[in-house]
Amino acid sequence: MALDPNFTTDGGDWICAKCHVPLEQIKVQALYMHSAFDVILPRCPSCGLTLIPQSLAEGKMAEVEALLEDK
Amino acid sequence: MQIAQTQSLCPVCLRLVDADYHLEGDTVFLRKTCPEHGTFQVPAWKQRDGMPSFKLWKQGSRIPAYPAHPATGIDRGCPYDCGLCPEHVQHTCTGLIEVTMRCSLGCPVCYARAGSSCEDPSLDVIGSQLDALSHASGPCNVQLSGGEPTEREDLPAIVRMAKDRGFSLVQVNTNGLRLGREADYAAVLRESGLDSVYLQFDGVSDDVFRTLRGRDCLTLKKAAIDACGRAGLGVVLVCTLVRGVNDHQIGELLRFALAQGSHVRGLHFQPVSSFGRFPWGMDEAPRITLPELMANLESQSDGMVKTEDFHAPSCEHPLCSFSAVYGRNDDGSLSAPMGAACCSGGTGPAAASPRVVDNAEGSRASRAFTAAHWSSPQGKNASLNDAFSRFIANFGADRRFTLSAMAFQDALSLDVERVRGCCIHVVAPDGRLVPFCLYNLTSLDNVPLYRSTPKAGGRA
Repeated sequence: MALDPNFTTDGGDWICAKCHVPLEQIKVQALYMHSAFDVILPRCPSCGLTLIPQSLAEGKMAEVEALLEDK
Repeated sequence: MQIAQTQSLCPVCLRLVDADYHLEGDTVFLRKTCPEHGTFQVPAWKQRDGMPSFKLWKQGSRIPAYPAHPATGIDRGCPYDCGLCPEHVQHTCTGLIEVTMRCSLGCPVCYARAGSSCEDPSLDVIGSQLDALSHASGPCNVQLSGGEPTEREDLPAIVRMAKDRGFSLVQVNTNGLRLGREADYAAVLRESGLDSVYLQFDGVSDDVFRTLRGRDCLTLKKAAIDACGRAGLGVVLVCTLVRGVNDHQIGELLRFALAQGSHVRGLHFQPVSSFGRFPWGMDEAPRITLPELMANLESQSDGMVKTEDFHAPSCEHPLCSFSAVYGRNDDGSLSAPMGAACCSGGTGPAAASPRVVDNAEGSRASRAFTAAHWSSPQGKNASLNDAFSRFIANFGADRRFTLSAMAFQDALSLDVERVRGCCIHVVAPDGRLVPFCLYNLTSLDNVPLYRSTPKAGGRA
């Protein structure tokens, strides 16, 4: 199993509403409060619009957010 | 010099009396006079070199958080109408349920005066207590207490009942003897959903246990800590602190706690109070105030922790507790303090101006903090293959250690302003919620204010 920091969608085939192309797993950098996190997320290869899966937003990302705000 | 006014109880007849805090030398005393039984005073706060001053620690104002569903009305006024009544100003952070009054120890010091042979409450009664707590206080933290909860064979079922109702953290308050004696017991409790063990742990030598617990305990308690670690249970070591008995072991307790590994999530001190069962006269109690404990932590830890690290709480009343949170290094030592165990004012420069605390937000933050920091560590099996996970592993609750203390109030030290802001509530068998200190409070003649009294409320 690949050890990529790869967060896929919570299900379904996602298409960019603007560009009408399927999202691809692309490396992006999430920035918050002077911290950067390199992760692979579903992203439009054309315009760069990035989907943050709900499970990630409510899970690890929320936990990291709270930790950064605590520091 | 008088520095604050409040109300208290006469320790003899438990009637409500006016009280004040006044400074004599380096000590702030709580003083009160009963027209029938005379004047009483008790040291409440020391403020020698380096200790935070009473005024600075207590300053600031609060936005009350009244009960959403008060269970009792206002009849005789605080502190006689608990249930909670509509005038209580803080929500529940932890709800405490006594699942038995049987005990395997029968300690010389016992707030609950446990050890009786009275019948255990049925699962139905406990279920209704949990429901009452959930209705009044939502998904707060639950502590199953006693007596000694592990005396009940159906404790795992009780833990499951609490977990099934969605409480944030379910904790057992225990002397640890059964956990240390029975190899698989910690795993059984973990499998039932238990998050945390609140482990009575008073010292690092058996002479301390013989004095406070009536027998040698150290070997079994160490075994209990190891068993909890293997089972994945978080442990908070809880020390009843008595001047002249174990106040010289404060630093050693801290070093011991840190040496056990990340499953020991914190060390919590309870300077002794005189309610329930205690082997001294109430007015001769070997009391130790919170600032003295802070100073002892600094001096006995060789500066590993400092008095200035400690913060006043935003959940309970400022005079009730202090806390600090530290990062943990790989070698088990502490890194710089990261703040308080909930939102705080602190003693540093930021505390120089008065603050306004929203009690509801303080309570919410404190519940969440306790649930995250006193529960089972999760790091060992977590995936570290992405940046978020690595960050959580390095900076999350598993890498933190909490150091805290709570000063309970007995019939001499009771301050009505403090108990009105209490966030630790005992769920009485009839479902009333009563602040911990009031529930356990007994007069000089050992007459209880609340425990085993009918629903009409406390004695007057």
